[in-house]
Amino acid sequence: MINLSTGAFYERSTSQIGTLRAKAESLQQQIGTGERLERSSDDPVAAARLRMLARNERISTVDTRNSELAEADLTLTDETLGSIADVVVRVRELAVQAASSTLSDAQRSVIGTEVASLRDNLVLLANSRNISGHALLGGQASGAAYADNGNGIEFVGSGALTPVEIGEGQSVMPGLTGPEVFEFDTANGATDLFAVLGNFAAALSAGGDAAAQASSAVLSDLDAGLEKVTTAQTVIGSRLNWVDLMSERREINSERVADERTQVGGADIAVAMSRLQETLTVLEASQASFVRLANLSLFSMLR
Amino acid sequence: MASDLLSIAASGARAARSALDVTAQNIANASSDGYVRRSLRIEEVSASGGAGRIGDISLSGARVAEIRRNADAFLQGEVRRTSGDLQRANVELSGLQNMESALEQSGVFTAVVEFEAVLQQLSSDPVDPSRRAAVVAEASTLANKFNITASGFDAVGDGLRFDAEAEVNDANIIGAELARVNLRLTRAGSGSSDRAALLDQRDQLLERLGGFSSLTTSFAADGTVAVSLGSNPPRSFVQGGTAGTLTSATAADGTLSFAVDGQAMTPGSGSLEGASLALTELASLRQRLDTVAAGIADTVNNAQAAGVALDGTQGQPIFAGTTAGTLRVVMTGGAGLATAPAGAAAGSRDDSNLNALRQSLTALDPAQQLNGVLFDVSSKVAGRAVTQSALDTIATSARISLEQQSGVDLDTEAANLIRFQQAFQASGRAMQAASDIFDTLLGIGR
Repeated sequence: MINLSTGAFYERSTSQIGTLRAKAESLQQQIGTGERLERSSDDPVAAARLRMLARNERISTVDTRNSELAEADLTLTDETLGSIADVVVRVRELAVQAASSTLSDAQRSVIGTEVASLRDNLVLLANSRNISGHALLGGQASGAAYADNGNGIEFVGSGALTPVEIGEGQSVMPGLTGPEVFEFDTANGATDLFAVLGNFAAALSAGGDAAAQASSAVLSDLDAGLEKVTTAQTVIGSRLNWVDLMSERREINSERVADERTQVGGADIAVAMSRLQETLTVLEASQASFVRLANLSLFSMLR
Repeated sequence: MASDLLSIAASGARAARSALDVTAQNIANASSDGYVRRSLRIEEVSASGGAGRIGDISLSGARVAEIRRNADAFLQGEVRRTSGDLQRANVELSGLQNMESALEQSGVFTAVVEFEAVLQQLSSDPVDPSRRAAVVAEASTLANKFNITASGFDAVGDGLRFDAEAEVNDANIIGAELARVNLRLTRAGSGSSDRAALLDQRDQLLERLGGFSSLTTSFAADGTVAVSLGSNPPRSFVQGGTAGTLTSATAADGTLSFAVDGQAMTPGSGSLEGASLALTELASLRQRLDTVAAGIADTVNNAQAAGVALDGTQGQPIFAGTTAGTLRVVMTGGAGLATAPAGAAAGSRDDSNLNALRQSLTALDPAQQLNGVLFDVSSKVAGRAVTQSALDTIATSARISLEQQSGVDLDTEAANLIRFQQAFQASGRAMQAASDIFDTLLGIGR
């Protein structure tokens, strides 16, 4: 005969009810947090994957930040280049005006003063700062990009730029250096816009026939300079496009990562809910049957 | 006359009383730990008639022959063995879970990722003071998180060792107790209730001892037990009335070893084995964490030495210390970060040395290493949890079969109560009959 020990009955019942309660609580936690994993050991592979995904997300936010900075710098450069082009165009207008033989020396000298002040504007533009406060066209140097060395404006920045990482191992040059904008070749050798404008202003204030000749001669130099500036604008435009493209990619990637995170580590609320309901039903049934069975003792029959 | 109706009935009433006592004892102890259901064996007392009077009725009633203890040595052995295995799994699992928590909740992985992120952030503007300050701040967070993890590991190790040492003490007390029970068992009468209680005590002590270490037991006919602890080879612990001494020793790396009377002992199962396994795991985990911490410190400091700080001087180390517990940041300000290569002017925005640092960090990949460590620990926890729940089921079913075999069933006892009560009443009726017969005899000739 099997001896149905009372102690064994209670032990078995409590362990069964305890197991069910623990299961219900774990499901409840999944629903409450929306996370399937409470700790890594719940699913080590998924947890390891989730950690690496979180790392990617974190690095990607820095990429986004860097890319925003690069975009801001590039936009600033673009605007500065536009202003530089405006200055060059204005100087060209003045040169055409000064080339006219009907003008007097005094009138040319006035134009010369305007050209000189436009040159000063150009120096200010060349030394404009990016949003971090560094010279926009100064390369890796901190401080000004161009300085007056007494006999002309000289590039004092460094000729190299620091590329900015914008994710997936890609990087972008967040701007241009001064020489890439201002220096160009003419028939008479290499020169830059500052020298061209400086010499032109000097020739105009000196007056005489030389002034009118210089006015016609400077036109070709100004055209070459303008071409250099507009080329630089095109380069900046294509870099801005590149940054945009990478931002889109990053967005798509982050959506994919978020999607994978939910798939790997998110709790399926519908499944969890129905399993919780099932567990609770079983738990209630076991509790009710436990009470019924526990009351079923021969002693209660004895009078 | 060879039989005496009154004394036969009285002996029956006595036997029924004893049976009722045993039933009441069973009911009272229905939920006592380690109590094994008693049953009474009642046997007939009879004698053959004397010489020449073989035909006579010669009956002397009944007597209590034995109070039987319904214990099954095999089931008890199974309970000891399976509960030892379960204890081992429990202790190892909880140790591993604590290690997992220490590693996971300290956030050391997140701190490594953050450190990588601030270095990347710095690369977009290497001379920005706030970005530089962020790198130093994140470096010190990283060092702190390593320290927190290391002290978490220390706490896990201390807890495991403390428990194991307390259990070694318990085991010695139980050994001494078993030796005393052995001595008393040699003096207790066979089949007596005193003996049954001693056997209960013996089995309970054995079960507790089996929770600490694997046991080899051999039972003598008088119920005394000889116990050896451990496996490969077992070391004799209790022999007759003498008990040995179990000792534990802690090695430099925090792992435990055990000895019985000076002879090295491997517990084999039970909580001592669990603690020993968990501590070995902890030692290797610490080593791996130290390697990661030292790797980060070396890589960063080497890269620092190769470049120049913001003021153009050679870069100084950021980290000091070679273990997770001793890692700390010695750089005081962001200006000391050597982002520019050697030879660069002060205030240079050249970030090639920072890039070199980031590349060597990528090559070392501490985040991946830590992820690997976390993965190993958590998959061990997951694996052990499966083993533990299997062992739990096995141990529970072994215990339930033992309880079904040796535990008290109140329904059976209720039935016995009625049965023996009726037997008692019946013997009382028999005594009544004897008295009536006597009265009848006395009334003859009146």
